[in-house]
Amino acid sequence: MTEEMGAVFVGSSLRLAMPLVLAATGELVSERAGVLNMSVEGMMLAAAFGGALGAWATGSPMLGLLIGVLAALPVALLQAWLSITLRANQIVTGIGINILVLGATTVAYREILGRHSRTEIPGLARWSPPGLGDIAVLGDAVFRQTWLLYAGLVLVGIVAWVLRDTAIGLAVRAVGAEPRAVDKSGLSVNRVRYGAVLFTGAMSGLAGCFLSIGDIHTFTEGMTNGSGYLALAAVIFGNWKIGRTLLACLFFGAATALQFQLPAMGVKLPTALLIMLPYLMALVAVGGLVGRQTAPVNLTRAYQR
Amino acid sequence: MNALVHWSSSMRARLLARPAILVSLVAVFAATLCGMALVVGIGVSVPKALAAFADGAWGSPYAIAASINRALALGLVGVGFVIAQRANLTNVGGEGQIAVGGIAATAISLYGGAAALPAPLSFIAPMAVAALVGGLWGGIAGVLKAKAGTNEVISTLLLSFIAIWLVYGAVQSESLLRQPMTTTATLPESLEIPDVTKLPLLNAAADTPLHWGLPIALLIAALAAVALDKTVWGLRLRAIGLNTLAARRAGMRIAPTIVLVLFLAGACGGLAGAFMLQGDQGSLKARFSSGYGFDGLVVGLLARGSVAGVIAAALLFGFLRSGGINMELEAGVPSAVVLVIQGLIILMLAGTAFWIDSRKEASR
Repeated sequence: MTEEMGAVFVGSSLRLAMPLVLAATGELVSERAGVLNMSVEGMMLAAAFGGALGAWATGSPMLGLLIGVLAALPVALLQAWLSITLRANQIVTGIGINILVLGATTVAYREILGRHSRTEIPGLARWSPPGLGDIAVLGDAVFRQTWLLYAGLVLVGIVAWVLRDTAIGLAVRAVGAEPRAVDKSGLSVNRVRYGAVLFTGAMSGLAGCFLSIGDIHTFTEGMTNGSGYLALAAVIFGNWKIGRTLLACLFFGAATALQFQLPAMGVKLPTALLIMLPYLMALVAVGGLVGRQTAPVNLTRAYQR
Repeated sequence: MNALVHWSSSMRARLLARPAILVSLVAVFAATLCGMALVVGIGVSVPKALAAFADGAWGSPYAIAASINRALALGLVGVGFVIAQRANLTNVGGEGQIAVGGIAATAISLYGGAAALPAPLSFIAPMAVAALVGGLWGGIAGVLKAKAGTNEVISTLLLSFIAIWLVYGAVQSESLLRQPMTTTATLPESLEIPDVTKLPLLNAAADTPLHWGLPIALLIAALAAVALDKTVWGLRLRAIGLNTLAARRAGMRIAPTIVLVLFLAGACGGLAGAFMLQGDQGSLKARFSSGYGFDGLVVGLLARGSVAGVIAAALLFGFLRSGGINMELEAGVPSAVVLVIQGLIILMLAGTAFWIDSRKEASR
């Protein structure tokens, strides 16, 4: 592998990992609070479409980002209402939401954006940290990225701190572990959970926008193509800890980047193998083969007073 | 007239006594209305869209048979779902079980010597192997659940994604199932399976694609219904499903039952894959399973635990899919409208499930 190819590989791994990092961080918060959102996929897809539509209609990628995140919130609210208030099966509702969003965005895309499919959608600007961007080879291939990538990393750091060191984080963790005790202390379990799911929606929204207006500057039907499920797999593989989840996302991103890199290097490994690798790893992890999994005690259990 | 009034009032009483059926009907109806509203929003006339839908779903004997063939695969996945559900297990792995079933059936039909077997065996052998492989695929989730307590929803879903990419990999590589590359334009799919391994038509003279899968699927549905509702084994599953701890105290062996149940559910999915290959598609392609497993999951959910419900729901979705495809071809309505309808049905059923269950508890 030449130096340049190595740099391109690292750069594209980061770029491909970032939507997973954002979505998985959001999902982790919600799962710590006891709600499993299979609908991350749907939230991302809604945002990817909303972001592309918004950026195209207003001509401003920033407004597109805002609209994209706003588009994910109703999806999150629907998930929250069904699984927290109506106490519906969280997995079934998640899958239902994903089918619904796939159908709705496909119809809406064909009606609104489809006939303009050749027009360029304005995307988020690229940026490189001062100093790092000037390094030969590395600067351009690795560090020159959509600013959302850097903003996202900062955001993940903040989430990690809030979850570990603040009252809000304590409330979130307690609601997933000991909802009854939280209820007795006078805090509303369901309100905390609604907040957590909406937060997942916002983060998945950023992730979806990263795909459409951050990375390839267009929308295609069903473009999330399972990344939401990959984000879930990363949380499982990360054993519901933020650091390990982050590593899992980076690894999944690298595996995806390799499928474009290997043919260029003349290595003949079936690409299908690389694409399934993250799912296989997650399966191995949930199968308890890499140490004990400690899921939040009340994950997927609705709370009844 | 009097009889009609009497019939309708007794029907009403029956529906009110069983809110699950009422809710299912209302959900299907309301979701369809939303779909129609979407059609209006797109700017296609509703009568035109409906005409195209009806034409594709039941407009000709051929269309009806094609819809029923679609329903077969969905129904098999649904039966598997209901078997697992009886033991309180949720099998969302239909998509992957179809995929590995399709791979197995293709391999046996093309390279496993099935074509050399005498007539009924030549198409039964691939089906049997497909069911076995699908069962083993489902059984993995069972073993993980029994050994490590892994949530079967997560494992069956992950196994689905793995299986989907296995199909993709199998048709990409010539050393696996890809047809020999003669030109650069050779598609990444398997060879067409030999005619003797395809499911024979029920009536070769009639111009319909209805094949032997229909009686086989009905037989399996009947067996499942009897096993679940009329046997000690079925009762045991229910006991384990309702209260695992109590069932264990009563001396039931939980782990082998969990593995067996998920094996059976997977076998139904694998067989569905064989049906799709041997009865319909004829060769393995990258997107072979094309959402049938997830649709079958919805069929299982709609059925609310009964095999009869599975048959009704599978027919509904079989016709819905056929009609949706034709609506896109003839009226220019994206078939994604059908996805919206499906999604809404799932959400309405899931959202009301808790309310229905609590009513059931209350009336006990």
